[in-house]
Amino acid sequence: MNVAQLADQLRRDNHFMKDVTRWEVIPARPAKTAPFPDSLDPRLIPVLAQRGIHSLYTHQAKSLEATARGEDVTVVTPTASGKTMCYNLPVLSAILQNEDARALYLFPTKALSADQVSELYDMIEGMGVDIKTYTYDGDTPAAARKAVRQAGHIVVTNPDMLHSGILPHHTKWVKLFENLRYIVIDEIHTYRGVFGSNLANVLRRLMRLCDFYGSHPQFILCSATIANPQELAETLIGRPVTLVDENGAPMGERHFVFYNPPVVNRQLGIREGAVPITRAISGMLLKNGIQSITFARSRLTVEVLTRYLKDMVRDPLGNAGRVRGYRGGYLPGERREIEKGLRNGQVDAVVSTNALELGIDIGALDACVMCGYPGTIASAWQQAGRAGRRKGTSIVFFIASSAAIDQYIVNHPDYLLTKSPENALLNPDNLYILLSHFKCAAFELPFADGDRFGNTASTQELLDYLDDQGILHHVDGRYHWSAEDFPASEISLRSAAAENFIIIDITDAAHHRVVGEMDRFTAPMLLHENAIYMHEGRQFQVEKLDFDACKAFIRSVDVGYYTDADLNINLSLLDIEKEEQTAQGGTAGLGEIKVTALVTMFKKIKFDTHETLGFGHVQLPETDMHTTAMWWTLPDKLAEKIPSDRLKNGMMSIANLLRIVCPLYLMCAPQDIAVVYQVKSPITDKPTIILYDNTPGGIGLSHKAFGMKELLLGKALQVAEDCPCTYGCPSCVGPVGEIGEDGKRTAIRLLKELTK
Amino acid sequence: MNLRDKLRAVGGDNADRTGQAERGTGDCRHFAVYRPEEEFPGARELTRETLSLMSEKEMPADFDPRRILYLDTETTGLGGSGTVAFLVGLGFLTDNGFEVHQFLMRDYPEEPYLLKHVAAGLGRFDVLCTFNGTTFDVPLLESRFLMNRMDRSCLELPHLDLLHMCRRLWKLRLGRCNLGRLEEVILGKPREDDIPGSEVPQRYFTYLKTGRMDLLEDVLKHNAQDIASLCVLLNHMADLYLHPEKIRFSEDVYSMGRALERVDQTERARKCYRLARGGRMGDLAGSALAVSYRRSGQREEAAEVWREMIREGRGGTLPYVELAKYEEHIRRDIPAALKLTEQAIARISEPGLGQGDAVQAEQNELQYRWQRLKRKLKEQ
Repeated sequence: MNVAQLADQLRRDNHFMKDVTRWEVIPARPAKTAPFPDSLDPRLIPVLAQRGIHSLYTHQAKSLEATARGEDVTVVTPTASGKTMCYNLPVLSAILQNEDARALYLFPTKALSADQVSELYDMIEGMGVDIKTYTYDGDTPAAARKAVRQAGHIVVTNPDMLHSGILPHHTKWVKLFENLRYIVIDEIHTYRGVFGSNLANVLRRLMRLCDFYGSHPQFILCSATIANPQELAETLIGRPVTLVDENGAPMGERHFVFYNPPVVNRQLGIREGAVPITRAISGMLLKNGIQSITFARSRLTVEVLTRYLKDMVRDPLGNAGRVRGYRGGYLPGERREIEKGLRNGQVDAVVSTNALELGIDIGALDACVMCGYPGTIASAWQQAGRAGRRKGTSIVFFIASSAAIDQYIVNHPDYLLTKSPENALLNPDNLYILLSHFKCAAFELPFADGDRFGNTASTQELLDYLDDQGILHHVDGRYHWSAEDFPASEISLRSAAAENFIIIDITDAAHHRVVGEMDRFTAPMLLHENAIYMHEGRQFQVEKLDFDACKAFIRSVDVGYYTDADLNINLSLLDIEKEEQTAQGGTAGLGEIKVTALVTMFKKIKFDTHETLGFGHVQLPETDMHTTAMWWTLPDKLAEKIPSDRLKNGMMSIANLLRIVCPLYLMCAPQDIAVVYQVKSPITDKPTIILYDNTPGGIGLSHKAFGMKELLLGKALQVAEDCPCTYGCPSCVGPVGEIGEDGKRTAIRLLKELTK
Repeated sequence: MNLRDKLRAVGGDNADRTGQAERGTGDCRHFAVYRPEEEFPGARELTRETLSLMSEKEMPADFDPRRILYLDTETTGLGGSGTVAFLVGLGFLTDNGFEVHQFLMRDYPEEPYLLKHVAAGLGRFDVLCTFNGTTFDVPLLESRFLMNRMDRSCLELPHLDLLHMCRRLWKLRLGRCNLGRLEEVILGKPREDDIPGSEVPQRYFTYLKTGRMDLLEDVLKHNAQDIASLCVLLNHMADLYLHPEKIRFSEDVYSMGRALERVDQTERARKCYRLARGGRMGDLAGSALAVSYRRSGQREEAAEVWREMIREGRGGTLPYVELAKYEEHIRRDIPAALKLTEQAIARISEPGLGQGDAVQAEQNELQYRWQRLKRKLKEQ
């Protein structure tokens, strides 16, 4: 049975269809093509012809034209629309025309760089020209590095390596910097939040050095679909970009099926699990010979589903190579083999974590099954985009888990199907991040009086501060680095705070190994002594937390419980940026706050039953975090009418709702923000609900939330009202045991008033 | 909260400034140190031929030891483009002694003057000599020339990096080979009151803030001593290369043999191996000597060394195996080869040789060889 036949059959199956909340058919779209532009070097045309390419899709052509006009370009394209052409063609043309020209490619992960390099090699080999493409990352052997620095036409690396391996040693990269023509950054939608704010500053440093060496590189950026690709790109590189966002690649008809597993216990609102349903659907695809990819959220689920599917197709010798698992932790060689197997059809089904979400080339498949919502719309479409051939029908199944966010999606499919409401936010001027990179920049090249760092308005204040601290030395109009430190080694691009805790596994006394890192604001919660820390599905107990040395020592254990720390949070106001009266008589504010967190005790909670087995005390110092926050206060008239107990329950319910809704509309991970409520807030002296950036300095989420302050409350109300539960459940306002019997009702009443 | 207060909250506050660095006009500070000729025994007699034993680097045809420039830098850090060489010392032999000229930047604006002196200095010499200059001083100076937009081709001299040359001779015995340790152990002149290298950057930064030139006196002394030591060390090594019999440690003689083989000085290398055969390195030296003969096709000489090793009970099973190969392939005496293999098997089974994977693998290999030889014997 092919996909179209299968779709027909399923739609006639009432038993299946009763749990389908939406069956959306996205019609086929023809290709829109354009001839090769003049800017393309003629030597490339035969190589393209060999690959069956005789014209470009319109988005490729538009991108090439804008690049040829000297503009910085951002191309927004779905998976498998040939976006690599948008940068490989101008870069190869430039090098063919001037062998001194250089290009820098940045990919967020190593696996992606490997993929892109092999594609480039193919084209270069096809032309028989001497264009050297090298990967420069942590795996590059020391002996090869010199050649890369001297001779690489195209240097492929990642932001971390650029930050710590290239920029601080720029004098070894003279050839690259003097001749840098293009900077290519792929997958820019991954550069949001802290990582993006860091990259934006790395790029400010890069551009300063290009200025010093007299080169003026152009940017070519690629993004998956997000709401604000242009804003993201412009914030990242600090200058205007031309947006190319209409996709000219053809696409066959696509079916998008939203499936909510049936309720098995109506009283408790318990649904059948997403994993067994996924297993059945993926199994059905496998039986019908439809090539599919199944996405699961955890590595463990990937392993479980892979085993189920393998069992279905095992031959008498026990081989089941047609079904493969794919996740982080597999060896690169194994991954390449699976990718190849998918492309050439030897693999029929692959079960993956989001590791296959990014642009790794596996060709297009017939079907995609999403076991749970991947967290953002961009991710969901990237996963869905794995299914969808240029011709023929494809199908995507979204299987909702019982998590609140999944339930929201499956009950509001329009959220996913209509134009993306998600924004990728970053804040290059986050003071923590800015200050760290500013030091790196000063180390790399002295600032002179009147210089600016990117478009940072506060350059002079930063210089004065560092001069005061003796880190810089101001003399004759220049600020010289005068500290022994190597500032780049103090920053990790993937977290904001300077000092991260490292997590050391001491299970094997002879081989202590570092298994992870955690920022200092989260460490007290998850790494206090005797905490159970989970890593790759294994349990560890924290044996010792050395707070001053920022080290946690963990040992492998196997116990039937997990731990949950009690966090006392105090907020104090540092600065109000904006405060507005609302139409309903309350206020909404935006400003900077100090969050003081103190962990005093933890609970041991039994798996499955969730009963509390015991308590433990924690003795750790307080941690302070300066960040940005926004808040809503309740109108006095409204608050006065409600007894304080009920008010508390209602506000707790609203906070719970906002924790579900805000990550969806701010496009952030749930842990990127915190939502708290205070019946009498020290910030406003009134009943207040506060949302803050859970990152030192903030990455702009509070600002964005302030701009959506009515919308967010409206969406929170919608979730509460649409949920079939009566008094509350974990999918909306929270369990009754937490919010009380009147919590949901009060929350709805308050929200109605607030959004009136 | 204003930005300055926020910065203090975010980045900490250690403001401290008590004085100002001294400032000149139009040049950096220059110091000269003169050392008497007696401190540098043999330095004037160093020849191109002796150097060719010690290094594969091509030396100028009209080589003159007075045209070697000894260079050492004192820096503000361990590398990267924010690290500056604030003091560069240049040393050279003269007709009546050894001179060290040190160029110090009293503040950052003097760096171009300092670099100009360095470039001019380098321009007057034929050979550069440093300790770890290949990976540290030269790239650092290259970076500084580049940052000041100055021509850096002056650094392209033939370069003797004593770190590598010393490692070849002494790593086996000493492990780490830093200059301080070499002065103490090899030259027998431990330093007194020397400032540890790790404290140098902070001294300079404190000087910049306070203007106290006395803080730099130790650094200047340290730098001048480093440079003088380069010259002493080079000539001490040269003496040993010419007279390996003077070396007291078997490890060092053996190491010199290896170093000489690197530069194709086979005869001299063999002399070292012979010298080392009686000592702690006897096994390795014997094997190296035999291998050296085998490489040059002197099979019988190699075999004789293996036989001697067997007589002396040296080298474990290796001489038996090598001799067995010789009997099998060169002399075509299979019974002799078989007998040697059996002897090797007997040896490896002796108690005290230990167990473990390596021994096991060797045993397997010997068994395999024995079976193969047995077969070959039958076929004959």
